[in-house]
Amino acid sequence: MNALLALLLFPGGLFVMLNGLAYEWVDRKLVARMQNRLGPRWFQPLADVAKLLGKEEIVPRGADARWFNGLPIVALAAVLTAALYVPLLGILPSVGFAGDLIVTIYLLSVLTLCLALAGSLTSDRFGLLGATRTLTQLFSYEAPFLLALLGPAVVAGSWQIGTILNYASGQWLIVTQPIGFFIAVIGLMGKLELPPFDAPEAHTEIVAGALTEYSGRGLALFRLAKNVALVVGLTLIAGFYLGGIANAFEFVGKTLALLGVIVVLQVLFARLRIDQLVGMWWRVGALLALAQWLLLIGWKLWSAN
Amino acid sequence: MSETESALAHAKQLLAQWAAETREPETNRLDVILTRENLRAAVQTLTDARWGYLAALTGLDLFNPLPKKGEPLNDAFEILYHFCAGAAVLTLRVTIPRADAFVPTVCDMIPAASPFERELIEMFGVQVSGTPDASRLYLPEDWEAGVYPLRKDFVLTESER
Amino acid sequence: MHNTQAEKFIVPMGPQHPALKEPGHFEFTLDGETVTHAGVRLGYVHRGIEKATEARTWVQNLYLLERICGICSHTHATAFVLGVEKLAGITAPPRAQAIRALIGEMERIHSHLLWLGVAAHEAGFDTLFMFSWRDRETIMDLLEEITGNRVNYSANVLGGVKYDVQEKHADALRRALDFLETRTEHYLEVVKNDEMFLRRTRGVGVMSRELAEAWGVVGPTARASGVARDVRVDAPYAGYVDFPARLILQTEGDLEARFSVRIQELFESYRLIRALLDHLPTGELVKTVPRRIKAGETVSRIEAPRGELFYFIKSNGGDKPERVHIRTPSICNMSSVLSLAVGHPLADVPMLLAGIDPCFSCNDRMVLLKQTARNGAHADEWTWEQLHQHGIEYYRKQKR
Repeated sequence: MNALLALLLFPGGLFVMLNGLAYEWVDRKLVARMQNRLGPRWFQPLADVAKLLGKEEIVPRGADARWFNGLPIVALAAVLTAALYVPLLGILPSVGFAGDLIVTIYLLSVLTLCLALAGSLTSDRFGLLGATRTLTQLFSYEAPFLLALLGPAVVAGSWQIGTILNYASGQWLIVTQPIGFFIAVIGLMGKLELPPFDAPEAHTEIVAGALTEYSGRGLALFRLAKNVALVVGLTLIAGFYLGGIANAFEFVGKTLALLGVIVVLQVLFARLRIDQLVGMWWRVGALLALAQWLLLIGWKLWSAN
Repeated sequence: MSETESALAHAKQLLAQWAAETREPETNRLDVILTRENLRAAVQTLTDARWGYLAALTGLDLFNPLPKKGEPLNDAFEILYHFCAGAAVLTLRVTIPRADAFVPTVCDMIPAASPFERELIEMFGVQVSGTPDASRLYLPEDWEAGVYPLRKDFVLTESER
Repeated sequence: MHNTQAEKFIVPMGPQHPALKEPGHFEFTLDGETVTHAGVRLGYVHRGIEKATEARTWVQNLYLLERICGICSHTHATAFVLGVEKLAGITAPPRAQAIRALIGEMERIHSHLLWLGVAAHEAGFDTLFMFSWRDRETIMDLLEEITGNRVNYSANVLGGVKYDVQEKHADALRRALDFLETRTEHYLEVVKNDEMFLRRTRGVGVMSRELAEAWGVVGPTARASGVARDVRVDAPYAGYVDFPARLILQTEGDLEARFSVRIQELFESYRLIRALLDHLPTGELVKTVPRRIKAGETVSRIEAPRGELFYFIKSNGGDKPERVHIRTPSICNMSSVLSLAVGHPLADVPMLLAGIDPCFSCNDRMVLLKQTARNGAHADEWTWEQLHQHGIEYYRKQKR
């Protein structure tokens, strides 16, 4: 019974989704204020989701209805599962196991894969282009993002999130691994397709990219999934790089500060073209992440001796 | 002599061999009346001399649907090629009979003329021989073939006005 | 969708597309992300205005023509009144001519700021979009204060202008210009120095001078490619005779140059407006123009925000024109985009399109809505109830 509650209400399920909607609101409101706009009211993300859930779901001709309806559910389920392994609200996850970091990162990628599949299945030109770009972007940021999150794991000597958090608390790894932190934040933005990395859904070119044909429930679920992924990503990065978990209040503050950084980056820059983006990741991002990783391993070996 | 006047004088001299008649309706304008046969040669002369640029192509329906006594029916079109250089406007005028309504294209000499010629084709039903693209530019796909809205015999009904 | 025979991947843009603020239809054939062919279909906002002018009096036409375009309504009206006045052998009083130029420059400011926002938006740079549109409100408010309208100001009448620019307007305008000038300096800096933005503009869509001339490009787009053509300078009209405009010219021909030419034109507009306000001629505003205009033909050219606007007006001596032909700047620039797009990534296409600042309403100007008679009603007029009913029935049919 407790396990069921944990899955449905807290920390999984309902709580993460509401948390995601709250973060979405913070994101939208801050972006709006920085762009000299009023921005949405506090319940707007919830209202959007409620409205979308109530709308008619139109399955485009030529798309397999089972896949079309199933993919958003898989995507949301994947990120919700990922949320079970991260310290939401600074509470250490109860279901950790050795190697859960890898599982979490790949559960986050399932979201991206579902997006790409959804885009290519709808047999819409914008969807197809969006799917191609989503995958292209995935291939470019995934490796550096993984390396960036593995940095703390290497120094902590464990693949388990809980252990890494214990190691990280009390010391700010951002000081010793600034490159890793930076790449992790940018990678998270890429994963969530936030500007300036929103080429996969650049609406002046390809309307809404992979999600062009989605309306109603599917769109609501995909948006929820993205919001949950935002929470999971922020929690991981804040936990790993910003001094672990001290207390819940402080920890939430840290994730919000991190969100603030992401907002500023969103506001400051013009969208990157997909070719520029891939170039940037492989020429700069991957190399830097790799260099830092090698340094860390070297330091680890040296200090072990 | 001002710049405009010298530009027009130059144009007049360039086109002297092709012009059937020249007029100067306003101080900055020169009208050169040409036959259809001489049009391309005249345009070629202008482009070779790099005189100005083609600013617009105007179609005029000279048709007089309700002629009063003594007035001709004037069953013809006049096509105006406006060239501008600074303040000077040079207009090449070609009159063509409605029964044989076509002009040669100038697109090979002036690529920018293509949309102007397309407009002429769909609005007046004047054929432009040799134009690279004769498809519709403005009118909808289901517009009735053979109906040309800017002709004078295309009369708007009261509610369409 | 999969056209397997031709192995072509065609991306349609429009008639409804987020990159287009007005309806137009573009088709881009893609190879991966690279455009290999581009085509255009216009006419979605074709309203038959050229034909309609022939059924209206000279005065009525003024108001009709002003509605060709919501952004540059004043230029259309100015081109028309200047042409008609020329035909009638009348010159508007100097104060009216100066006010025409003044409003024309205010319109250029609001149009260029609008364009800056749209172009930035196409590049995914929404912050610049939001700020430039906020600043644009200053000039819109002033236009409203002087003429009573934010768009379609109807400042012109045949023979002069309708609204006077009073001292209080002048003061407000000067203050607004000071504010806009600092803002515009900031935008110029962003456009010239922002590394991420330059990645999207520098060296993108380069149009050489030769190409620009061959394609007949006009306005700021041409001036960014080194084509020295500005009707205000070449053939001054209205207030520009006494208050000459300076030509802004750049030779790079890429998107960055198109940005910078337009922004520098803003400074030129500020300077012109200040000069006009400082030395506004005194005197009457309107001269009487007869109801019937002498027979004849004339050509009237104006520098609209997007380039040369060309009016050909023919009168038969009646109270209605025999023919009004309008050649708008956008149609000249349109073909250049199609040629430029080939070889560029799809991501650059919205930017290229925005680079010429296209105005489809201007383009399409002239039609007639013809519909078959339905519901027993009059052929082309539907009441709200009929439209409503039609909507319900249509969707009912779709569901079945």
